[in-house]
Amino acid sequence: MKLSLNWIQDFVQLPNLSPKELATRFTLGTAEVEEVIEEGLFWRSLRVAEVLSVNKHPEADKLNLVTFSLGDEQRQVVCGASNVRVGLKTVFAPTGVTLPIGLTLEPKKIRGVLSEGMLCSEEELALANESEGIIELPADAPVGQAMNEYWQKSSDIILDVDNKSLTHRPDLWGHLGLAREFAALFERPLNIPYSAEWMNKMQGLQNTEKSPMTIHMKGDSAGIGYFGLSVDGVQVTNSPNWMQERLTAVGLRPINSIVDISNYVMLELGIPLHIFDREKIQGDQVVIHELTEESSFRTLDEVERTLVPGDTVIADQRGPLVLAGIMGGLESGVSEATTKIFIEVANWKASRVRQTSTRLGLRTDSSQRYEKTLDSQLLERTLWRTLELVLKFNPNAKVVGRLEYDGVDLSNSKGLELQLNVDKARRTLGLSESQLSNQHIQTILERLDFRCSPEGHNLKVAVPSYRATKDIECEADLVEELGRVVGYDHVLPQAPSLPIAPTRLSLTQELHRKLRDFMVLHGEALEVMTYPLVGKKLLERALWPELDQLVLNNALSQDHNQMRPSLIPSLIEAVSKNAKHFDECTFFELGRRYLPSTKSFSEEENHLALVSYHHKKTPFLRVLNKAERLLRASNIPYDLALLNLAEGQPKERHSLVDWSWPGLHPYEVTSVRVMGKHQGLVFSLHPLVMRQFKIKGHVSVFLLNLAPIEARPLKDKTKYQPLAKFPGSFFDCTVVTDQTTAVQSILDALKPLKNMKELQRTQVVDVFLLNDSEKAVTLRTEFLDQEKTLSGEFLTAAQNQLVETLRVAGFPLKA
Amino acid sequence: MIQQLQKLYEAFCGRLKSLSTQADILNLKAEYLGKKGEVSEVLKSLKDATPEERKSIGPVAQEIKDKILSDIQNALTALELKQINDSLARERLDITWRDAIKAEGNPTGGHHPRWLIQKEIEDIFLSMGFEVLDGPHIEDDFHNFEALNIPGDHPARDMQDTFWFSDYNPKTGQGHLLRTHTSTIQVRGMLNRKPPFRFIAPGLVFRCERTDASHEMVFTQLEGMMVGEDVSVAHLIYFMKTILKEIFKKEVEVRLRPGFFPFVEPGFELDIRCLICAGKGCSVCKQTGWVELLPCGMVHPNVLKAGGIDADKYNGFAFGLGLDRLVMMRYGIDDIRHLQSADLRFNQQFKTY
Repeated sequence: MKLSLNWIQDFVQLPNLSPKELATRFTLGTAEVEEVIEEGLFWRSLRVAEVLSVNKHPEADKLNLVTFSLGDEQRQVVCGASNVRVGLKTVFAPTGVTLPIGLTLEPKKIRGVLSEGMLCSEEELALANESEGIIELPADAPVGQAMNEYWQKSSDIILDVDNKSLTHRPDLWGHLGLAREFAALFERPLNIPYSAEWMNKMQGLQNTEKSPMTIHMKGDSAGIGYFGLSVDGVQVTNSPNWMQERLTAVGLRPINSIVDISNYVMLELGIPLHIFDREKIQGDQVVIHELTEESSFRTLDEVERTLVPGDTVIADQRGPLVLAGIMGGLESGVSEATTKIFIEVANWKASRVRQTSTRLGLRTDSSQRYEKTLDSQLLERTLWRTLELVLKFNPNAKVVGRLEYDGVDLSNSKGLELQLNVDKARRTLGLSESQLSNQHIQTILERLDFRCSPEGHNLKVAVPSYRATKDIECEADLVEELGRVVGYDHVLPQAPSLPIAPTRLSLTQELHRKLRDFMVLHGEALEVMTYPLVGKKLLERALWPELDQLVLNNALSQDHNQMRPSLIPSLIEAVSKNAKHFDECTFFELGRRYLPSTKSFSEEENHLALVSYHHKKTPFLRVLNKAERLLRASNIPYDLALLNLAEGQPKERHSLVDWSWPGLHPYEVTSVRVMGKHQGLVFSLHPLVMRQFKIKGHVSVFLLNLAPIEARPLKDKTKYQPLAKFPGSFFDCTVVTDQTTAVQSILDALKPLKNMKELQRTQVVDVFLLNDSEKAVTLRTEFLDQEKTLSGEFLTAAQNQLVETLRVAGFPLKA
Repeated sequence: MIQQLQKLYEAFCGRLKSLSTQADILNLKAEYLGKKGEVSEVLKSLKDATPEERKSIGPVAQEIKDKILSDIQNALTALELKQINDSLARERLDITWRDAIKAEGNPTGGHHPRWLIQKEIEDIFLSMGFEVLDGPHIEDDFHNFEALNIPGDHPARDMQDTFWFSDYNPKTGQGHLLRTHTSTIQVRGMLNRKPPFRFIAPGLVFRCERTDASHEMVFTQLEGMMVGEDVSVAHLIYFMKTILKEIFKKEVEVRLRPGFFPFVEPGFELDIRCLICAGKGCSVCKQTGWVELLPCGMVHPNVLKAGGIDADKYNGFAFGLGLDRLVMMRYGIDDIRHLQSADLRFNQQFKTY
């Protein structure tokens, strides 16, 4: 919203501050000024010049050196205009001036001769689209006079205020309301010409003739109140310069005297209005009603619009004339032939106007104001002000009949009264009594048109009706009025006194931090974050079974229209993108997956995923090792369930994947059970799904459901074992087995020996191929007794027992 | 005799120099110091000398013997060292063949820059006694709007371009949605606590907004709230100044100006003195010297009530911080969309933890 400081000065005398200072105070006290525009200031620098001599430029045929007088001094410029001649009076622009066409004059030499500015053409001053030669002023133009005086050009300062910062202030959508803010901020008196006497005078213009147009408002409509007045004998012309200038300055295009008046009054008083050509209304009544069936309507902007049941219109016998609160119709608008008018000033329900305007995508100056909730008490004043201007421009026009009204009874509206605890207000703001005295509080509120009366420690505050529509509703709102007018820069920062208590992260947050750190430091993985929103196409590509769950109503694109049921599809997509740039990569994400729930609409779980890609060799074991190390280091109680999906799927369901998902590699897959349930999975991506994403190489994934782990404290179960006082003994042996045997199964074959307390552990030293079908596996076993040194006899017997156990299990010693 | 000894030593030194194997050196040692060695012979002959001669020759002979011994030892040590170093040279490692220059097998790890900033800010608030909370991304209209003083027909709902789920009813404005701000966690935080309390809530938020270099439909915010008796604007400014000083590692000048947010009253926009131009005016601050950084305010009584808090007894402040903007400022990231691209060319630039 643009505001003109000239216009503001109709109501309040602004202090002598620079435009920037005024704007800063307004920003700090009321609403953000986004831009300060100085309008027409250049006229003050332009002066009437009289040409004294014209000489050819020494180095350019088409240029002249022109000397001219400004009365008190002489100047010289280089000029190419053909009409320049001795005695001509024209307009001189000195260097430093920015012309309306955007050109800033700088001192420069033109072909070696210094030019001290410019003699202007109409085109250069934006007075004409094109012009030949420089301006020729009448012979009596006073030499040296500034052009703003000679042509009576005004200048103005325009503040462009951020509309968003005015959303809650319907009273600031007109200059009078804005002027009240300046009056309060700068402690200046506010002069409102629209007094009670003025209202009386205007009301006296009604007469006893029958009103040619009456009003009927139907109860179901969006209407709150509707005033209408008929005026005859109007002549539609151009509005006077001052009005055109003001409208232009705040960004509205002047159209004709009547339309300009309606815009002008709206911008002055903040209430939109509409003026009909009364002769284009069929019948003698306008009816305000809600549409019951869909219909088509051509608005002023010449667009055919579809109206639906529920939209409110102002209609005559034929049909809609105006879309209530939004825009008039093309048919009933004022034209140059109009002589009889009907002035409408109405109030509409904010939400209804907003609904219709949002649906139509039609946001107008009018709808923008109505959707802020306007005050019906201001309607009548707005109408009289409109009439005042109509009569001013058309002295012969006359009111026909009386002011017509239909709508809610406006006479007995009870104002809002609030209690303000002044001590509490000061405490909340953090201001002392010397910074904000009781008297000061009262002054501020009264300048803003609140009426105050002391009531014990409190102040009883009557809120002006135009602030009570939505903006001011409780004590805190009054505190804001005080704070912003005093200025928050008076509030000094202060640390509160608070009891000291330990503050820790939650168990979940601690776990997340640990996991992240592990992944970065030990997982050697880069952390990524992908969209929680995915598209059906991606899920289908990943052959993911859960599609179209938690779909958005108003997604921006089909690629992000539903909540991801798993991190996997997004991460496979990430691999496919990165495989173009990297031969190998490892990354992780700690993010949420979303599932529909019959109980609570949706459920969210945190999942951790580590993904590793290598273009040549499978990273499965690397990922598995990282996973196991992470589980151990994080004190997560787990066990690994080796799977062979080629032989069938496990019976228990997995919390992360459907066992039938084709993305699982038949052999490179291990489930992580946490507290007996499948909550984690290490797997390689099946070539089938790899192909879907055009990934060449190998991808392995570790996925962990954090939900069952987050809630409980993960205990560090480390128990210290005293170091052995007696030496242990190592025994290596090599067994032969089939090439396809899993080494773990050889170790598992030693389970029968688990009661031999001296057997500390058996580990694999080496595996090597013997031939096409067999391999040799070297095992190392440690025997140790905490109490004594083991005897040779014992060791021999134990070793024999070990070898025998292996043999029985089908793992004979290598010969 | 002394002369003889000196000569003998000189001859020894000359020979030792020419030797390069351990065996030769040991042989030389035997030649001089062995039982029949030259020095031994000289020493032996001493017993035939007069006591005076013995007195003068004895120490000299002993000295030369010691010198020979230590020369031999030094030569042996030097030789051994040379042999070891020669073998090290043969096995010499190319110490420039580091992971950092390898095309393959160059493991790297690093946190997401978003998390780096979030963690840093969480830690600052933790140190000042703020808890850290989060809540669900999928919310209902009560937690996202209703409880935050944004009723169904409130124009503020226009300001928030909301992603709604299929159960949305446009007539009543009810249904499930993706939270448009972390303020939803305020509501949950209040319902679960008794004043006084203070917490922050960092997390993802969602806006139905076209994406470009500076707009995302999914981004991170950090919400903060403090509720107690007589919480004031002065306290709010104190915490904001403190946190900004910690984040920017220098004193930051702030100013509050009125800003409208339905869930706070009074509501503010907090501006900081432009860090690029120090307030002189530049393109970043649009020549104003100030940069809008975060919205904040005193919690609206209706919001306290919706959170089950006695609004007559307690009040509080709340603020919101756009984390992604801080991330971009800190690292000079030119396009917000990189954050969620999972493009490792972006992520691998962040190697710290």
